[in-house]
Formats: sequence, C-alpha cells, structure tokens
Amino acid sequence: MTTTDADATTVETPANLRVTEEELARRARRTELTSRWFWRILSYIAVLTIWEFALLDIFSFLRGSPLDPKLLPGPSEVVSTFFEIWGEGTMPAAFQATLTRIAVGFGLSFLIGAMIGILMQSKWFEGFFKDAVLISLSAPGLIWVLITAIIFGNRPLGPTIAIILTTFALVTVNVSEGIKALPKDLIDMAKSFQVNVFKRNRQIVIPHLAPYLFTGLRFGFSIAWKVTVLTEVFSSSEGIGFEMRISAVLFDMSEFLTWILAFFFFALFLEKVVLEAIERRYFRWRQAVTAS
Amino acid sequence: MAEIKIKNLHKEFGTGEDKVVALEDVNLEITGHSFVSIVGPSGCGKSTLLNILTGIETPTNGTVEITSDGHVAAPGYVFQAARLLPWRTVTDNLLFVQEDRSDETKKRCQRYLEMVQLGDKGDKFPGELSGGMQQRVGIARAFSIEPDVLFMDEPFSHLDAITARALRRELHHMWDETKKMVVFVTHDVGEAVELSNRILVFAKGGSLEDDIQIDLPFPRDPADDEVAVAKAHVLRKFEELDLLAS
Repeated sequence: MTTTDADATTVETPANLRVTEEELARRARRTELTSRWFWRILSYIAVLTIWEFALLDIFSFLRGSPLDPKLLPGPSEVVSTFFEIWGEGTMPAAFQATLTRIAVGFGLSFLIGAMIGILMQSKWFEGFFKDAVLISLSAPGLIWVLITAIIFGNRPLGPTIAIILTTFALVTVNVSEGIKALPKDLIDMAKSFQVNVFKRNRQIVIPHLAPYLFTGLRFGFSIAWKVTVLTEVFSSSEGIGFEMRISAVLFDMSEFLTWILAFFFFALFLEKVVLEAIERRYFRWRQAVTAS
Repeated sequence: MAEIKIKNLHKEFGTGEDKVVALEDVNLEITGHSFVSIVGPSGCGKSTLLNILTGIETPTNGTVEITSDGHVAAPGYVFQAARLLPWRTVTDNLLFVQEDRSDETKKRCQRYLEMVQLGDKGDKFPGELSGGMQQRVGIARAFSIEPDVLFMDEPFSHLDAITARALRRELHHMWDETKKMVVFVTHDVGEAVELSNRILVFAKGGSLEDDIQIDLPFPRDPADDEVAVAKAHVLRKFEELDLLAS
C-alpha cells in the first residue's frame, strides 16, 4: 500500500495543553521543593507531638508520666512562656545585646581572618600563622570562652576575643584557598583584552573570592553565634546566654526552654531565610553551572 | 591596515638543566586582510608565540611590533577554552572587554552576538550554554572590540566535528565581512587549509620551518579535490620536516 501526504492524519496537541520543557522542569522543581518542605515540617510536628503527649497523664499506669512537667514542660507551655517574655520586652533586648556582640566580634574576626589569609600567600607568613590557624580550627570554642571569662570577666572585650579566636581561622582558610585557586586563565584573558587592573579585580578576583568569603561567613557566623551565647552564660549581665543562665539558676525550665527555642529558631531563620536569600541573589550563576 | 613584524624572536622557559626553548629565532611579517594559520606538533611554541603577540608573555630576546596604520594595533583573542566569566551573563561578558558601556557599545555587542546566532542568549549565564555556544560567545567577544588583529588559539579543538565545522564557516564569514587580520593556531592541517591563505609550519624547538601560500577561492569545502591536494601538500611538508611522528 502506498500512502501520500494527503492520507496522513495529523494529531495536534491543543495549544492549552502544550507544555514547554522549561515549564516541565519548573513543575518538577516545585514538586521536589514542596515534598522537601513537607517532610521537614512533618519532622517538627512529630517531635512536638511526641513531646506534648509524653507529658500527658495517660501514662499514669506506668507509675506516673515518664517525664515530670516541672522538669520538662510541654511545648504548649513553652510557647505561652515565649509570648509572655516577648510581651515583657526582654527578648528583643536580649537578642539585640547578643547580636551586637556577634556583629562586633565576628566583624573584626572576618577582617583579621581575611587579612591573614592574604598574608599567608607568602611562605614566611604561612609559616608564621600556620599553627595558630590549626589550633584555632581544632580547639573547642569552650576553651576560649573559659579563658576569656577568667581574664576579662564581665567586660565586653571577653566575648569579642573569644569570637575572634574561634572563628578567624575559618575565614583565613577560605580566603587562602580562594586566592590559591584564582582563575589565571580568566586573568590572562582580561590582560590580552587590555582590561585594566582595577576592572580585573572588580570583575574577576572579587566575584571569584565571593563564594569562598561567603562560606567563611556562613560557618564562621554559626560558630560565633554559639560562642557568644556561651560567653554570656559564663560572664555577662545581658544577652540570650545570660537569660538562659538566670532561668537555669531559678530552675525555671519553661523559660529556659523558651530561650533555647528562640535561639534555635532565630539561627534557623538566619540560615534558611537570610543566608539562602543572599546565596540565591548573588550566586545565581553557580546554580546555572550545577544545572548544566 | 594591520601589520605584524617579528624580528629574531626567542623565548626560553626555566634555567640551567630545566631550560626549554619554546621559540628560536623567529622572523616573520604579516600584513593586511590575511588569515594566517600556525601549524606544528605539540610543544612547537605555537601558543607561546600567540601569548607573546598578545602581551600575556614577554620574549627572552627579539622584538614584536603590531601596528595598524602606524598606531599600536588593538588585538582580540579567542582561546582554546571560551574563558568566559561564569558569574556574568553573556552580554556582560562581551561588555567586560569594552572600554565603555554606552548604548552604542551595547548595540555593537548585540550585533556580534547575532552574527554568531546567539542574539537571544544575552541574559543567559555561560553555564547555561553548550560548549559550542560558549565558544561562539568567545568569538563574538573578540570581534566585538573590533580589533585590528584577531588571535585564535585552537578555538575549535574542544568541540565535536559538526559544531566545529559550523563555527569555521561562521568565522570565515566574519573574517570576510570585517576584513580583519586573523592569526590562527591549530594542530589540524585540514582546518588550516580550509580557512587560511597562508600557513606557517613550526617544528619542535620553536623554529619556523616553512611558509606556505594557499591560493584557493573561498569558501573551501574539505571534500573538494583542490583543497584535498593542498592539504596533502602541507602534510608532505610535515613529512619532509619529520613532524608527523611527533
């Protein structure tokens, strides 16, 4: 049998059903993201539910509840304490004190760490700083917290120095690695097109170093955050750590847990909302590279 | 009209026992709207010569003059890999090598992107493009500064045969339209014969061994008898110079 073009039937997809590859990829990404968030939220709900139910009286046949509400209040009580403390205005003031300490301490640490990272490109300075960086990376932050608490007591210099000593090395290592991996091929390309040194630094060196600096910032900040609260627990009269200490001394577990949860959610907010937004905004090109 | 004058050019790397001679006493003149290919085995100093011509490296001895109508000529460079800034969009990559970001400059960049069939990809990041597309951007970037001389270092060697062939045609078309001088480094004799009107043969040790004129009309089809004969002629030279084994 011979068929011609006239015999052929054409099945056309209605315009409203035509989906581009881009749209399909977008939908797949959206589904993946929704599913990821669903499981993440579910894990919180599961923990909170178990926590709340563990404190109910239904376990009385087991010689009373396994958990004493005085020792471990339930999430509902913690939430109501949270709003109580928030209403008093204590929480914003404590956060402000802690965040100011982090901003000053980690700001200085970032500058010092970056400077040492640049200096370490010389083999003499590398020899000079190498062990200091190693010690800072490996020593537990608690050591510096205790030392600075003993030396400086309640003075603000203590937390600042503890933050610098625990975090500068993270910035140093990242800056140093970034400089070592400078894209010589791109710099040569720019030179061959007679692009001036200022523009080369602005458009090649700085964007190349930005992800390294960002990694240093991210990890350094998360450690600075913990160290600051620890210094406040030991030697401060304000801030989140100080409030935790007072709650612990007064044996007020509900308030103590409120501070822990506030601390935890704020750290999560910084990581998931602020830092990830910065990453999406300024490192969009890296997603393009990964996707391809 | 662009002009390149190379006198007694010598380039060494390292010292003492580690010394390697990359270029040895090279004398050369190239003028006008030429398409000159530099061919030779690996390590014959092809890329070193290009790096010296573009100022990335300095010669150990000798002089290089690149002028255009008595002034210092503006060079453009297309590399083996596209060398695009991954954090800048395609358009910004072209603008990066420009002196200004005026509307006129932006229009010129767009015109060259259209010449390499990428007029609609200006806002994409290089990571979103294929290897062939990235190399096209590299070519558009080099042409967009409207250089007096265009240097190309094995620009198609990383690409598949079909993409490379399409890009060779585009390149030839652009060379013909813009009347620029092109100095093209390749290890592919067929590519050199298809594109150039002059082929310089370098041997290991960096010496210029032969200067071959290819007087065939453009565009050239590698399947044409005349092109095949010219390619065989160049390969015979390679054989005479004992370059094939290396």
